[in-house]
Amino acid sequence: MNETVLKIEGLEKSFGNLEVLKGIDLEVQKGEVVCIIGASGSGKSTLLRCINLLEEADAGHIWFDGQDLMDLNVNLNALRQKIGMVFQSFNLFNNKNVIDNCTLSPMTVRKVPKAQAEETAIRHLTTVGLADFIYADSTRLSGGQKQRVAIARSLCMEPEIMLFDEPTSALDPEIVGEVLDVMKELAAEGMTMIVVTHEMAFAKEVSDRVIFMDQGVILEQGSPRDIFGNPRNERTREFLSRYLEDKQE
Amino acid sequence: MKQTPQKGNFITRDHRYVYLGGSLIALLGLSLLYSREHPYSFMISGNLPEFCALAVFWIFLAISGFALIVKFFYWKTYSNSFMKRPAVMRVSRWLSYLVVLACILAIIDRGLLQLIYTVQICMQAERNPQEFVSSMIYMSIEGKNIILTGIWTTIRIALLGTGIAFVLAIFMVFLRIQEPDKRDNDFVKAVKWCANRFARLYVFVIRGTPMMVQALIFYYFGFNLFKRTGMTVTEINNVWSFFISGLCTVSLNSTAYLTEVLRGGIQSIDRGQTEAARSLGMSNWQAMIKVVFPQAVKNSIPAIGNEFIINIKDSSVLSVIGVMDLMYATKSVSGIYFRSLEIYCVAAILYLILTWLSSQLLKYLGSKLDTPYKGITSSN
Repeated sequence: MNETVLKIEGLEKSFGNLEVLKGIDLEVQKGEVVCIIGASGSGKSTLLRCINLLEEADAGHIWFDGQDLMDLNVNLNALRQKIGMVFQSFNLFNNKNVIDNCTLSPMTVRKVPKAQAEETAIRHLTTVGLADFIYADSTRLSGGQKQRVAIARSLCMEPEIMLFDEPTSALDPEIVGEVLDVMKELAAEGMTMIVVTHEMAFAKEVSDRVIFMDQGVILEQGSPRDIFGNPRNERTREFLSRYLEDKQE
Repeated sequence: MKQTPQKGNFITRDHRYVYLGGSLIALLGLSLLYSREHPYSFMISGNLPEFCALAVFWIFLAISGFALIVKFFYWKTYSNSFMKRPAVMRVSRWLSYLVVLACILAIIDRGLLQLIYTVQICMQAERNPQEFVSSMIYMSIEGKNIILTGIWTTIRIALLGTGIAFVLAIFMVFLRIQEPDKRDNDFVKAVKWCANRFARLYVFVIRGTPMMVQALIFYYFGFNLFKRTGMTVTEINNVWSFFISGLCTVSLNSTAYLTEVLRGGIQSIDRGQTEAARSLGMSNWQAMIKVVFPQAVKNSIPAIGNEFIINIKDSSVLSVIGVMDLMYATKSVSGIYFRSLEIYCVAAILYLILTWLSSQLLKYLGSKLDTPYKGITSSN
């Protein structure tokens, strides 16, 4: 069961003079749900974006599917198909309706026949509870609906791992739940997930491991019970206490 | 006086400007009625319609003048004076409607019928009349074949030119947006670099030189090229006609501008669109073709329409190489009759009609395509 899907070694990334990632080491097992928490600017999102090369890291290794993504000769497009990504701002294709958003990539990249791609898309859209919106205009959906379409769109490529980049940060508190429910379901089905989030309740409930990042390094990681119940690092404690205070206000 | 909410727009609701506006309209009507009569006039001095109209105008002016005097003496208390009584206000308002009606009649009489009369006279005239408007009409009628050919050529050049330019600009913008990537091999890097620099150079040169110079250079370049092959001048003129070389000029010129328009359109699309496509495994090219470019083109439609209107106007410089466009046609007519100002005014009016019609058409298309057209911005 302990099969490593993703292994990151010594990942470094700077934007100009600003060092955002200062040597990150991380291993993710198959079926594991990893939540990354930390203050804004700690490098959580950059780490996630480096994993599927939306940002090119400066140094280090990203082992995925037996290949090093940092190797310049690797076929990125082929590997990216197996890494799903869900963005904070949804990024649905504005020129496509809901189902075309989902079928576009399977049809262009994998050359899946239209009928089959639509069948898969409808199946995933139904799972995320959007069976009634299959032919809706993607620009007219609510934020929560958009994010669920984005998740279904990623699922249509049948990824081995899903990256969530603050998937609920752009949503109203009231509709955060509908997206988190979908993610919980995914986790229960055994999807390997890395989730950058500010939803501590979600991290506590769903994740197998919580990672606390601060200023470009992983300060502390462990089971949610350890991190939230008994944080060893002073900075983690400070962050969590401030976060809980904010929540109570 | 109690203020009650009233229906109607500014003109019918507000009473403050009845005297001022009505007086201006009355003055316009008076100036028309006292201008020269013509055989088609139904308002001749002394007949009933003219008398009534004059009476209405003068009476209204008298009342307005009186109101002005009252206002002058009762500056603060005017609203309490008898001028503000409902009956007086109602009468003056009805009178102002009469003024407008009389003025419309005067415009029909001295304007429209005068124009019809002038056109008829001009059609029978043996030679160019001295009077300005008559001369405009005379030369337009006499030279209508030349002018119509000119309009048709202008429209064809603008339409075809913009169309060809759009196709070329799509190609050019793909060269323009090539950026060498860390993961490309050296050959691809070099090709991308060259493509990018070529497109930049092209836009730089075309946008930095006047279209008139471009027209001359293209024409003589083509001419000399064909001459090298040993063709005679007549043969060259058949192949490399003024029209063809002019069309090439407009197309190549607009390509540069539309390249920038499309590049702006592509840049205006949120990076997230590309990132989402790439994260799903699409290549850069697939993301561009399937996701970014359709949105960019849609956003660029108003600017592309604008380019068409600009081409209607700017194709006029092609007359230097002898393209038979509206400008050249105007010049020809002016040469025949030795009158310039009149016929150039006609040309201006015709250009205005062409661009106005086009912008109306673009507005209509824009509303259909959900891409609002915002009017002509700047010229090339």
